[in-house]
Amino acid sequence: MKSINLIKPYFVESRLVLFLGLMCLIAVDFLQLFIPRIIKWVIDDLTALRIDLIRLLFYALYIVGLAIMIGVFRYGWRRCLIGTSRRVEEGLRNSLVAHIQTLSASYFDKAKTGDLMAHATNDIQHVRMAVGMGIVAFTDAVVLGAAAIGFMIYINLQLTIIALIPMPMIIFFARFFSKKMHGLYQQVQGAFSDLTENVREGFAGIRIIKAYNRQKETNEKFENISKHYIGKNLKLVRITGSFFPIMILFSNLSLAIVLFLGGRKTILATITAGDFVAFISYIGLMTWPMMAMGWVTSLIQRGVASLDRINKILQTPPMISDIPGAKSIQRVKGSIIFEGVTFFYQSKALPALSDVHIELEPGKILGIVGPPGSGKTTLLNLIPRLFDVSQGRILIDGTDIRKLKVNDLRAQIAFMPQEPFLFDGTICKNIIFNNKITHPELIRITKKVALYDTIQSFSKGFETIVGEKGIILSGGQKQRIVLARALLQKVPILILDDPISQVDAETGSEIIKHLRHRARHQTIIIVSHRLSAVRFADQIIVLDSGRILGSGIHAQLMESNQYYAKTFRLQEIEEELNAS
Amino acid sequence: MHHDFGYFEEESLGKPYDFKLLKRLYPFFRPYKLLLSCSVLLVVFITLLDLSIPYITRIAIDRYIVPKMNSADNISPESKSRYLRVDISEAEIRKIVSKYPDLFKTGRNFAEIPLNKLATLEKKELAVLRIEDLSGVSLITTVFIFIIIAHFGFNFLQVMLMEYTGQMIMHELRLRLFSHIQSLSVPFFSRNPVGRLVTRVTNDVQNMHELFTSVITFVFKDLFLLIGIAGVLLGFNWKLALISFAILPFVLYTSIYFSGQAREAFRDLRIKIAEINTNLSETIGGIKIIQLFRLEKENYNNFKKLNHENYLAGMRQIHVFAVFMPVIEIFGVVAIAIVIFYGGGSVIAGTISLGTLVAFISYMKMFFRPIRDIAEKYNIMQNAMASAERIFLILDNSEKLPKSIPLMESKLKFGLPIKDKIREVAFEDVSFSYVDGENVLKNIHFKIAMGESVAIVGPTGSGKTTLVNLIMRFYKPTSGRVLFNGVPIDEIEILSLRSKIALVAQEPFLFTTSIRDNIAQGNRKISEKRMEQILADSNCKTFIDKLPNGLETTLSEGGGALSSGERQLISIARAFARDPDLILLDEATSYIDSETERKIQEALSNLTKNRTAIIVAHRLSTARSADRIICLHRGRIIETGTHDELMQCRGFYYRLNQLQNL
Repeated sequence: MKSINLIKPYFVESRLVLFLGLMCLIAVDFLQLFIPRIIKWVIDDLTALRIDLIRLLFYALYIVGLAIMIGVFRYGWRRCLIGTSRRVEEGLRNSLVAHIQTLSASYFDKAKTGDLMAHATNDIQHVRMAVGMGIVAFTDAVVLGAAAIGFMIYINLQLTIIALIPMPMIIFFARFFSKKMHGLYQQVQGAFSDLTENVREGFAGIRIIKAYNRQKETNEKFENISKHYIGKNLKLVRITGSFFPIMILFSNLSLAIVLFLGGRKTILATITAGDFVAFISYIGLMTWPMMAMGWVTSLIQRGVASLDRINKILQTPPMISDIPGAKSIQRVKGSIIFEGVTFFYQSKALPALSDVHIELEPGKILGIVGPPGSGKTTLLNLIPRLFDVSQGRILIDGTDIRKLKVNDLRAQIAFMPQEPFLFDGTICKNIIFNNKITHPELIRITKKVALYDTIQSFSKGFETIVGEKGIILSGGQKQRIVLARALLQKVPILILDDPISQVDAETGSEIIKHLRHRARHQTIIIVSHRLSAVRFADQIIVLDSGRILGSGIHAQLMESNQYYAKTFRLQEIEEELNAS
Repeated sequence: MHHDFGYFEEESLGKPYDFKLLKRLYPFFRPYKLLLSCSVLLVVFITLLDLSIPYITRIAIDRYIVPKMNSADNISPESKSRYLRVDISEAEIRKIVSKYPDLFKTGRNFAEIPLNKLATLEKKELAVLRIEDLSGVSLITTVFIFIIIAHFGFNFLQVMLMEYTGQMIMHELRLRLFSHIQSLSVPFFSRNPVGRLVTRVTNDVQNMHELFTSVITFVFKDLFLLIGIAGVLLGFNWKLALISFAILPFVLYTSIYFSGQAREAFRDLRIKIAEINTNLSETIGGIKIIQLFRLEKENYNNFKKLNHENYLAGMRQIHVFAVFMPVIEIFGVVAIAIVIFYGGGSVIAGTISLGTLVAFISYMKMFFRPIRDIAEKYNIMQNAMASAERIFLILDNSEKLPKSIPLMESKLKFGLPIKDKIREVAFEDVSFSYVDGENVLKNIHFKIAMGESVAIVGPTGSGKTTLVNLIMRFYKPTSGRVLFNGVPIDEIEILSLRSKIALVAQEPFLFTTSIRDNIAQGNRKISEKRMEQILADSNCKTFIDKLPNGLETTLSEGGGALSSGERQLISIARAFARDPDLILLDEATSYIDSETERKIQEALSNLTKNRTAIIVAHRLSTARSADRIICLHRGRIIETGTHDELMQCRGFYYRLNQLQNL
């Protein structure tokens, strides 16, 4: 799809407003052209000395009347045309955010936050400017230009043609420069994105930067990136900076031609002195369209570059979306089957998961253990389709999950990710999200994860605002909040990624006890590094380098799987030592 | 909304004191004084050239194109009209004059022909009669062309010069702001969302681009133009000039009124954009959660609401401008109408020439452009000033925020450098609270000697991480002191202190650079051999070897496709590369399986030889291997001692151990 189609709907939607605005603009342009006419009459009358004060007053009032009408129409076009550009801005930003929300996790592994932010603010602003001022300047240029040329021809054809000789040069230069500008604008915007991303990282990682005394290096790196940005800007300005003066030069050249030839013609009485002055006025009127051409070109170039960048995001298809005829489901029983599942991350040569087979009956608990990087989190992410399998398939209640509506699939699953993410807002909001839940239920669930007392210890209780990413809370508190969030959902499938890694042993065993109670109603999958959290599971699998090295219940794995047995014994010994 | 946590309240920014702000910006301009002066000088030239253009037209008209009114020595005074007077001493002219005896009135050595009769002559004859006028027009056109070429050259030079200067000033400002924010201590970052700080360094500085590149010179240019035009007009005809200036007070009043309105509109817009940015960065950061919990709709609606508010603010701004610009335009035309009426009258009365009137009209048109510009630029200025204000608010931060905000760290650089190894770390009656009245640590008192490893255990939220933060001096104790080698931490140069400490934080933060850089942290002295050793010690070798680019793999934001265990391992390798006196491990083991952990424990025990280690431990096995264990509970030390001691006294630690067995 071409980028321009992104903004078309808004033009269609506000076509009446646009039409009205354009009419106002054209009215303004035509009325404006009358002012030099009146001035011409005044001059001609004064040259011939055939005018009295009353007639002068009449002319003066005429001009003022025109000016007031122009003023009213001006308000009209500003409101309508520039208003439309604001509408485009709003719409584009909405669709960008709506689209970003549909993009799959793999996209965000590659995309940079700062980059995306720049798209939603700067680039959209550029598009807005191009749309608003672009329409205005373009219409202005065409209407004013055409009308001024018309009037000039009316006065003297020959002079008009000669005076307009610099015009084709302007078009030539405009094309030449705009080509150059397009590339340069993209570079500048790219450099700005880098800058933004660099700043973001510098602030987000502040603790590590401070702990490792990296301020100097980060500053140096930032300085380089900032310098790079300057370089790009200066390169661009070499073009844009010469563009306007060249436009003025050409328009002044026209004036020189009028001065010379028009002057001669007046002297030789081919045209009147009033014609001559009016001609100069019209050339003055032409200056703006000529410059506008330049301005419009650069504005539009910048806008198009930005629109292209936005379009690139909007054109990124969500890797994961409903297939045509996707099945909608109400509530599954909760059986989960992995059939020969293999998964590659795009950036990696080796598979994160290879040939994984799992069968899990409804209401059972599956435990997943394995060394870091063995693919445990990846495996969990495949179930709610944060990523799609590369080979094989995953079945829920016997249906390939890719044939289900994504939204319905995810509605079956409560998921607790490994790293707790909180939104800036109250604790309460972070736990219940958009679920309908009563307060007693909220209290019950927070008590289950040993969070209630902690929350009560805050002066504002559940209404405490957690700050961006839950900055005021400890890791364990955050973990328990997201755990409560997952446990609160009454859905058939519960997925927990290392749920008790950051809570103390006492709380941990309380939570595990609670989970065992839930099992009959929910299919539960738990990834944990603490084997005590999964030893009671109905089925346990051991992953290593994306392969299942062993599976069975605790007792079986103790027999058959070296890693499991070793790790368990190790932890057991620790526990025994602790007990002694 | 966010006010509870000391975020900048964007809404409550007072009226900007432009002059004060400009004064504060001055130091950034100072290094570029020469360039700026050149630029201003160029602007003066450009303005003079601008002004000369209508002036040339006037000369062309009055001197060559339209003959003067010859009223004084008019041969035919009965009818007031324009005549062309020619010298009849030249033979050719005499011939033409004699050809049309009814048109010419002949004097002693000149002849006169009414202007309106000129058209009846043949072109060739006219050319002969007005040869001087024609060559005059040629001459003046030549001058004009030189002027416009010079105009072009100056313009280009000025734009380049100004852009360079502007970019350099912005660069300095960005650097200053970036390094200042980085030098602020950690609580500042807890209070201010990253998105907002990023906006300060990028968009707010960018916002001042026009101030630096066009506004400053344009203001000069516009002022010159205004003064210049006023001067020229007064010189032409002071009476006419003064009468046409009668409109100025209205213009002034309108400009002031509207710039006030525009300022409000701009401010609203900026606040909305900042809110949009914060919301957006959260959407991107929390995308998985949004998708998993199907919050798309709700989040989108929130965003849409914000975005629509931004739209409305935009429309308000459009309204302000849509009223202002035409009103000024109308004033401009009214001034021209005055010139036409009064000036036209003067032309009839013969007090001014027609050329003067034409020039007057041209200048009048030029006169209102700068007024409109200044008003518009004033608004851009306001916009830039609003940004400048926010920037300075951050640059001033160290003094302005309330109590619990610590001093800027740069001030701490003046402390004593710590020359020796860290021999001892001591907490003396330390209490700490993030929020007033909610103490996270209470009267913490302990000493750790060189080579000792101390485990801190306790339930979540008991203050373990906070304790580590105080040692790193990310935060300042609310009361009590933290001492290194007996010296209070406030008196120690912070950089030299931190260079002796390695921190492995709870959530590994990796930079978007190669794995090598992430480990070496800019330390180029690390040899290939040592790097190999570090990778082996930290158990990174196996997985890094599996990556196609190995150590040179560039990590995407936040570590991307690495598992959190692998990222944790890299952050441990980072600590190894540091070769520190003191190691702070904050739950570093929580994402790592027992096997890897065991290897790390070995490596750590090597590393902790002759070094001090403070380990925030969740697993009691970690605590067991420590020389000493400190049990924290609700911010207090409730037990301390070796594992055996604590097990014997059958207290809190013993109970924790019992629970682990269930």
